[in-house]
Amino acid sequence: MAPIQGSIGPRAQSKGDRGGRRAKCSGLSALCPLLFALFAFVAWSSAAPVFAQARRVISIIPATTEMLFAMGAGDRVIAIGSYDHFPPDAQKLPRVGALIDPNVEQILQMRPDLVVLYGTQTEFKRRLERANIPYYSYVHKGLGDITETMRALGKRVGVEAGANALAGRVENQLAEIRERVSNRRPPKTLLVFEREAHSLRNIFASGGEGFLHDMLVAAGGADVMADVHRQSVMMSTEMVLNRAPEVIIELRYSPEDVGGADLSAWSTLASVPAVKNHRVILLTGEEFVVPGPRVGGATRKLAAALHPELRW
Amino acid sequence: MLEQTDIRRRLTLTLAGFGASTLLVCLLAPLVGSTSISLAKVFDRTLPLADNVDAQVFFVARLPRVVAAGIVGAGLALSGAVFQALLRNPLASPDTLGVSAGATLGAMLALTAGADFTFMGVSVVPLTSFAGAVGALAIVFALSLARRRGTSSTVLLLGGIAIAALLNAAGRFIQYLADVTETFRTVQWLMGSLDVGSYAPIVASLVPFGLACVGFATLPRVLDLISLGEEAAEARGVDVVRAERVALVSASLSTGAAVSLGGPILFVGIIVPHIVRLIVGADHRLVLPASALFGASFLVACDLIARTIVAPVEVPVGIITAIIGGPFFLWLLFRGR
Amino acid sequence: MLLQAADLAFAYPGAARVLDGISLSAARGSIVGLIGPNGSGKTTLIRLLSGTLRPTAGAVVIDGMPLGTLSRRDLARRVAVVPQDTHVTFDFSAIEIVLMGRYAHLGMFALEGPDDFAIARQALAATGTTALESRRFATLSGGEKQRVVIASALAQASDVLLLDEPTTALDVGFQFEIATLLKQLNRDRGTTMVVSTHDLNLAATLCTELILLRGGRVLAQGATGDVLTAANIRRLYNVDADVTFHQRAGHLTVVPIARAD
Repeated sequence: MAPIQGSIGPRAQSKGDRGGRRAKCSGLSALCPLLFALFAFVAWSSAAPVFAQARRVISIIPATTEMLFAMGAGDRVIAIGSYDHFPPDAQKLPRVGALIDPNVEQILQMRPDLVVLYGTQTEFKRRLERANIPYYSYVHKGLGDITETMRALGKRVGVEAGANALAGRVENQLAEIRERVSNRRPPKTLLVFEREAHSLRNIFASGGEGFLHDMLVAAGGADVMADVHRQSVMMSTEMVLNRAPEVIIELRYSPEDVGGADLSAWSTLASVPAVKNHRVILLTGEEFVVPGPRVGGATRKLAAALHPELRW
Repeated sequence: MLEQTDIRRRLTLTLAGFGASTLLVCLLAPLVGSTSISLAKVFDRTLPLADNVDAQVFFVARLPRVVAAGIVGAGLALSGAVFQALLRNPLASPDTLGVSAGATLGAMLALTAGADFTFMGVSVVPLTSFAGAVGALAIVFALSLARRRGTSSTVLLLGGIAIAALLNAAGRFIQYLADVTETFRTVQWLMGSLDVGSYAPIVASLVPFGLACVGFATLPRVLDLISLGEEAAEARGVDVVRAERVALVSASLSTGAAVSLGGPILFVGIIVPHIVRLIVGADHRLVLPASALFGASFLVACDLIARTIVAPVEVPVGIITAIIGGPFFLWLLFRGR
Repeated sequence: MLLQAADLAFAYPGAARVLDGISLSAARGSIVGLIGPNGSGKTTLIRLLSGTLRPTAGAVVIDGMPLGTLSRRDLARRVAVVPQDTHVTFDFSAIEIVLMGRYAHLGMFALEGPDDFAIARQALAATGTTALESRRFATLSGGEKQRVVIASALAQASDVLLLDEPTTALDVGFQFEIATLLKQLNRDRGTTMVVSTHDLNLAATLCTELILLRGGRVLAQGATGDVLTAANIRRLYNVDADVTFHQRAGHLTVVPIARAD
């Protein structure tokens, strides 16, 4: 339920103005408690919302599912999304779809008291509103927003302490990494998250925005595509040659994709420093695609790849 | 008056004119790109290749692209011209009989299954894509074998449209089952890309394309006659059934090679023969070679635009050909044809 | 006999016979007419005579050679076909259409030479279409198109010309034009013709002999004067007609009077 933006000002003022007209006020004395109650109600609803605890939470987003479990609200989660592969405790829960295909009927039947969904799922939101089910709208943004989301979500669910502790841990991890790499020269890095198997076609790399870029910077890397203000950039071979990254990091999320990430495909671009110096690195793991509690570990892996000379 | 030397002269003029312009475009294209290189450095032999960025950009990034664009453009234009004559429909395209849909289905199967192997330097997606094209051809060919003598090629056309519809539906179904990443990959593949980055897939595509060209070489006059009607062609001495089969197989091999190499790039197969016919007339002895040459230079030019217009980001080449194709057809319409 | 057919029969696979027991022999220089109601098998017979269809029984023999033994090219050098109408997909000019008739005389990669052009121009002259040489075929009138198509068939330099309802789609002016042209060609070049037509008066003026087809079988066959009778017309079309020799026209004319039943 969205907080009601009420205007209580005029009411309060008008009440104060009536101070002089005692006769009238005593005549209306029966109204005063009523007015007070009205005032209190409006004040309450327009102030920062204080939610009741959410005990039956459905999360269809991998990041928020991980966050909920990591902040100690795992026992409140009754269903998860199709692609929520972590943590292991969650895997036994029923899956109710994801971004494109949330199973609305099933979700409604489970009678949740909070649904964590994507900000873009407008149709889904409308259906939940009609069924009077509250939702938390998640937007996938940058690295800094992860801890902010943790805190907001924790508050919304009613596990503030756990959420704040979690956010604090992640922030400390990131701060520690930033500190360690702070006096190292950041190597020019190309962060590739998608490529056609065994070839250099349809290469997608991180641009100057988004959480992959932020992780790269936190890990002490300089993004060669930082001047392109997009989350993803399709790279032509010419572009890769021209930008001449010193390190190429390929990210793969699931074991099935690893074979296709045959790194020898890069060898045709012999003039690229990363290729010449054998600094084409494959990192696997879902933590690279889920902006959640494991982002500290993911950033650490990136930092280890970029700065192996610092012992990790 | 069509003088007796005219056909020879027109052929020579056509080949010379289109040949020269295609050569020019193909020589210039590798010199232009989203990054600037120095030609002197490119051909500087003293620098080892691994240190010569300019040479790498020229020989690894740009040149394969230009060659691939040339082959794909020529292949699609030729098969478009042949299909238009075969089906007696100036709006037919390499997609009409389902070969392109078969190639797409093959690619999608590889992309969604996460298949992962190479064969002689060619990666899985072009291989399965070509297999899909050949599969579609086999089905359409079987249909054509079932045709009785004397039945019109309407059967072929309808059968091909049905096959195309089925294969497209199958492709969509595969996409529907795919997860987000796989869908993303198929969407990318569908936009077409000529950034091959190596010569192996190009060499591989030359095999079916070469075979197709052998077939195409026998077809020009025959296509003129077939475009009058099957019986009219037969009455003038054409072995129509054999000619149609050669045309079908050659055009399908050419389409299959092109789509496997560069993805399904729209409009090239329709526009290029049209433009060529406006310039050289309807005689296929001129139209076929001119389509091959113009198709090559057209796609090389489109790819050039695609990779430079919003640098450093690239526009998929299929979008450029569509942006040119759509208005072209509007223009044709308003020309009052 | 230049063109002969003995006991010809034809059926589409899995269907009933469309033609049965057809025999004909056309002497060199003769004009044979095929007459019959819609669906009587006229077009099928033309297609059997041109080799487009293979008979299920019997054989067609041209100049002593069975059609089945000839290659398409050889056949095209002996037999040319003028269809009822011609749809041209692309923007060929009239002379390009006529030149296509030379295909059977050229090798696969040969380009038309001066001889071919001469023959093509002669064919245009013979059909009175010289002025249309560079015009786009698609822009010609019905009569002009048909004349160009006949010129294209003439360019094949064949002995036999088969015409499938050559005037059906034309107005009376063009019909007369084509009829005159065909008579002239027969006179000047000695071309043997087989003409299928609905137009009984055309058949009367043009043909030296007629074959009357009904339901795929021969109703009557022979010299025009003998075969084109009121009785036969009634049998064929269920129409009472007056068949008289028209003095001024110089040939038999058929005038339908009333339905026969």
